[in-house]
Amino acid sequence: MSFHLKFVMPSHPRYLCIVRAAVTELSLVHGFPEESSQGLTLAIDEALANVIRHAYKGRHDQEVELNCRTVDDRLEFTLLDHGEAPDPARICGQPMDEVSLSGRGTHLIKAVMDEVCYERVPRGNQLKLIKYLPAAKVGADKK
Amino acid sequence: MKSSTRTEKGTVIVDVVGQIDMGSSPVLRKTLLDSLKATKSVAINLSAVRYIDSSGIASLLEVFKEARNSQKRFVMFGVTGAVLQVLQLTRLTGIFEICETEEQAINA
Repeated sequence: MSFHLKFVMPSHPRYLCIVRAAVTELSLVHGFPEESSQGLTLAIDEALANVIRHAYKGRHDQEVELNCRTVDDRLEFTLLDHGEAPDPARICGQPMDEVSLSGRGTHLIKAVMDEVCYERVPRGNQLKLIKYLPAAKVGADKK
Repeated sequence: MKSSTRTEKGTVIVDVVGQIDMGSSPVLRKTLLDSLKATKSVAINLSAVRYIDSSGIASLLEVFKEARNSQKRFVMFGVTGAVLQVLQLTRLTGIFEICETEEQAINA
């Protein structure tokens, strides 16, 4: 039986710590070492922060949905918001100036996750983030 | 996140505890910039910080730039665990002045 955890929450930063705690525990339970769990938590947190900051322009009263699932050999995190579509340049991750103040969130997400897929769907913006389980990754690397 | 300030040998030390995220980083940014206005040397103690996101990193960068532009000093110490990982992922370990201990941060 697979695992499925669903968050439906307001776009307010005060809820981010709840998601971070859950994602950290979820990844530890699935065998990720502590450092990888911290990275995964960071990636999901950055994705949610991007939704609040960009899709909802800082509004704290909008709805964000996050689904966390185990699917075979991976953890899948799917974010759904009903805000503005993101700037394609931002999704791609801007090249970072040495001391630029912005654009690091997307870079962090891509550095941590194995797959990042954005899609505009009828309900809004959907971002799917995938991380392969440690055992699956070892198997995939050997192939 | 909670922070407090103290002064040791002319350096204002900002001790931070907890998690720095998009909700708390504006408060930290203001604390650091205010400290920098009042003195020539500011050190941030990150040893009790369990989490920092890119907005926290951006705040630290802004203070770093302000210090550089005003010919003041901004140094970090107690950088471990999750904080160090984020600095490495954002390739910023070589940008900031990072000391291992408070004593080094004050005397460097």
